[in-house]
Amino acid sequence: MDIIPSGGIMFLDGAMGTELQARGLAPGECPEMWNLTHPADVRAVHEAYFAAGADAVYSNTFGANAAKFHGDAPLAEIVAAGVGLAREAAKAAGGVRRVALDIGPTGRLLKPAGDFSFDAAYDAFAGQVQAGAAAGADFVAIETMGDLYELKAAVLAAKENCALPVVATVALGEDGTLLTGADVDCVAALLEGLRADAAGFNCGFGPDLMLPFVRRMSGRTALPIVVKPNAGLPRLVDGKTVFTVGPEEFARDAVALVEAGASVVGGCCGTTPAHIAALRSALRGKAPVARAEPDVASRCVVTSGSRAVEITLGDTVMIGERINPTGKKKLKAALSEGDTAYVLREAVAQTEAGAHILDVNVGVPGLDEPAVLDEIVQAVQSVTDLPLQIDTSDPVALERALRHYNGRPLVNSVNGKEESMSTVLPLAAKYGGVVVALALDEGGIPPTAEGRVAVARKIVARGAEYGLAPSDFLVDVLCLAVSAEASSGAVILEALRRVREELGCRTCLGVSNISFGLPARPSLNAAFYTLALGAGLSAGIVNPLAADMTAAYRAYRALTGRDAQCGEWIANAPAIAAASAAVLPAAPAKASVDATEASGSPLFAAIRRGLRDDAAAAAKAALASGADPLSLVNEDIVPALETVGKGFEEKKVFLPQLLMAAEAAGAAFAVVKSAMPAQSGRSARGPVVMATVKGDIHDIGKNICRALLENYGFRVIDLGRDVPPEKVLEAVLRDTPKLVGLSALMTTTVGAMEETIRLVHAKSAGVPVAVGGAVLTEDYAVKIGADYYTKDAMGLVRLAERLCGD
Amino acid sequence: MTVDLKEVGRYLLLHGREPDQALAEKMARLGERASDAVRPARVWRRFPFDGVSVSSGGLRLDLSGTAADHLAGCRAAYLACGTLGAGFDAFHRRVSAVSGADALVVQAIGAAMIESWMDGVEDAIRAELEQGEALVPRYSPGYGDFPLEAQKTLLALLDAPRSVGVSLTSSLMMVPSKSVSAVIGVKKG
Repeated sequence: MDIIPSGGIMFLDGAMGTELQARGLAPGECPEMWNLTHPADVRAVHEAYFAAGADAVYSNTFGANAAKFHGDAPLAEIVAAGVGLAREAAKAAGGVRRVALDIGPTGRLLKPAGDFSFDAAYDAFAGQVQAGAAAGADFVAIETMGDLYELKAAVLAAKENCALPVVATVALGEDGTLLTGADVDCVAALLEGLRADAAGFNCGFGPDLMLPFVRRMSGRTALPIVVKPNAGLPRLVDGKTVFTVGPEEFARDAVALVEAGASVVGGCCGTTPAHIAALRSALRGKAPVARAEPDVASRCVVTSGSRAVEITLGDTVMIGERINPTGKKKLKAALSEGDTAYVLREAVAQTEAGAHILDVNVGVPGLDEPAVLDEIVQAVQSVTDLPLQIDTSDPVALERALRHYNGRPLVNSVNGKEESMSTVLPLAAKYGGVVVALALDEGGIPPTAEGRVAVARKIVARGAEYGLAPSDFLVDVLCLAVSAEASSGAVILEALRRVREELGCRTCLGVSNISFGLPARPSLNAAFYTLALGAGLSAGIVNPLAADMTAAYRAYRALTGRDAQCGEWIANAPAIAAASAAVLPAAPAKASVDATEASGSPLFAAIRRGLRDDAAAAAKAALASGADPLSLVNEDIVPALETVGKGFEEKKVFLPQLLMAAEAAGAAFAVVKSAMPAQSGRSARGPVVMATVKGDIHDIGKNICRALLENYGFRVIDLGRDVPPEKVLEAVLRDTPKLVGLSALMTTTVGAMEETIRLVHAKSAGVPVAVGGAVLTEDYAVKIGADYYTKDAMGLVRLAERLCGD
Repeated sequence: MTVDLKEVGRYLLLHGREPDQALAEKMARLGERASDAVRPARVWRRFPFDGVSVSSGGLRLDLSGTAADHLAGCRAAYLACGTLGAGFDAFHRRVSAVSGADALVVQAIGAAMIESWMDGVEDAIRAELEQGEALVPRYSPGYGDFPLEAQKTLLALLDAPRSVGVSLTSSLMMVPSKSVSAVIGVKKG
């Protein structure tokens, strides 16, 4: 950024808050109000920092955003006064003195951790940026961010609402992570991607504890590094927070930060003009160190809100392919019906199977893709910490999902067509995505490796015009079925090698397309995956739930020395061995013989004991030995569940055991169902629409009800938590449920429940509403107009059975 | 942070009965994962108590009503806030997506953990009391007639969003969800 003197160190100011407290600001008092009530004090703090040698000061506007500020004056006036006071001090000090518009967090926790939306946070920051830029700030300083998502909102707001340089620092905990879990790598990747002008740390602790994180940051970004540590750790003395590290000690430790790569230095809580003066004199004549990390600029890192995944040229990662409706009937149906829960289960299953990144594609004809992709991306991010690959060909959907994505995403995809490059590349550059480049263009898919490399080269060159480096691309050399074109496999392998060698780009590939049209596909897929890995594939887009694929991945890494001491291979060996043995069912064939004697069958016993895996295995074994699917349902699964349900009603079985049994029954039923002819067996009853009402984010009760209902064979349309009344009505009109179940935990949200009931009753043809939740009673339920009150999840199942005519 | 599985059983309403093997294994396994997911934080601050409120910097936390009864005879009060952090909620969301039983057990684990964490906060406060002082049991907004609305002032007086990362939703729930705020009176003798 042009405000940082090249080749020199830039000095910032120290604390504002603790300086104002020394001048009489009380705990709990709004510091920004002092811009109007005590302007001389605020200006005096700035003047003291300039006198101590600061090149720039931060305006007293830390909390002056619309989400946080509740003082007794218009915000724009507070911000303008704050910047104005710093400007006056700068002018009085003379020379080249800068003023930063200081921006702190909103004090609200963003979704999904809290209830505050990304857009609302953006709006709060945007207002502050506009006011500060108009008042004459020289740059924007975003600081003390404790949540990567909020940091993104602030940086975007700064970039989109002014043309000033943007410096951003986060407040790490002593373990090196933010409150919501992001580490230094996540912060570096996000800020690089969003094209911030400098990145670093403030607050939290003193310069001594900041050192390892500055070292880490120095190896993770080429951006100038900013440090504003506290005067040590806060200590409580006589009920007051004090900072005990004096100016000399502070300056001595801060020198180490500069030696580790920092070039913009100042102080945070507890630091004073004396600290800045000591810093200045300790660093007199010193220049920033040359940050000789040759590969910093060529790293390829994607992140979620809490985890960074680096894609290197020396190793490989798995991208989970299962959230893509192409060829997947169940997922297609789930997306069409708004059954987000199904998608989330796929996300968690792939996460736990060892995927590193998840592809998310919701392309179903007739769906409002921009709305659905946006919603699903956020929902998936709420249950997994893996980075996502946003997969769409709709540029409107892409931009909306990129904007609301938490972290630095993978973008799937751009291709060599002019139209694609001119729409996707600027979006990737703006939102900081790594882009999958498909090796096809107006001329189609080149038949040769040579042709595909040429298209990739064209895309990468075009990307440079938007500021994208070769390391910002994953080239997909395109996997065509070997059954249609015999040379396909060889062309792909050659192209993988050449892209690495000639373009220096990482690669990705949808591996399983190779076997399309052939029998025994899993074996072909795994074999080709191994070949592709050998050819240097950086990221395979694969099914991580397919045992053959994960075994191939782990075997490749173990056999090529990428798995230290074969540790991962050994750790996963039991699962790999079990998967290859699972071709034949392991459980004894006795099950079917005992099936008529329900209480004795292994399936019955496994369900009653709540053992999900055992129940599924027992069902498989029974089927393998010739048991009739329908009688397994009627004589084992349903009676076992009934036994446990009755036990719960008689208080002999507890809720967790009831749920475990229900889930075991559900697992067994899923196995049996796949063996049934399409029309027979129990079809899903219901549906039941469930929601936790607006304003309420505690959804444990609703989730328990959903789990039990589903395992009792009901189709549940789960609308999630914090659901506005209109959305419930929309589902009622669309899905004509037999029952609507609403939950609320707190007295403050029962009002929203009442409103939802009123709306459903007024606008739908007599769909009954049942309510439940900690604060509700039968009387209260009647008072707010509910048709039914159920005291627990089993009660709701019984009610649903009654309403569905069982 | 370790998990007291007995306490977890209490929150699962097992009424003193031993969990069966499958449940016991689930509790132990999820307890370990929960321990990895939490990042507990805590903050407290002492204020003078005038019999009906504590105040500082233009903020006044009204404690009239049952809270004042509870603090009868106290001349000072601590405001305190503790949390398991946002990581616990993320873990809970993940298990909830897959299993209602796991979600229920994790919920109980969280309840046991935050209670034990707050007991630790009280112990730490007790350690800084003057000779002859003692704490009365903690009292939180939402108890008796102590309104939830009071959370706003209580958390502002602790600078809770910044100090421990705890903030309020628009319906006055604390997030992260496993957080507790409280007033703890100090009495003589």
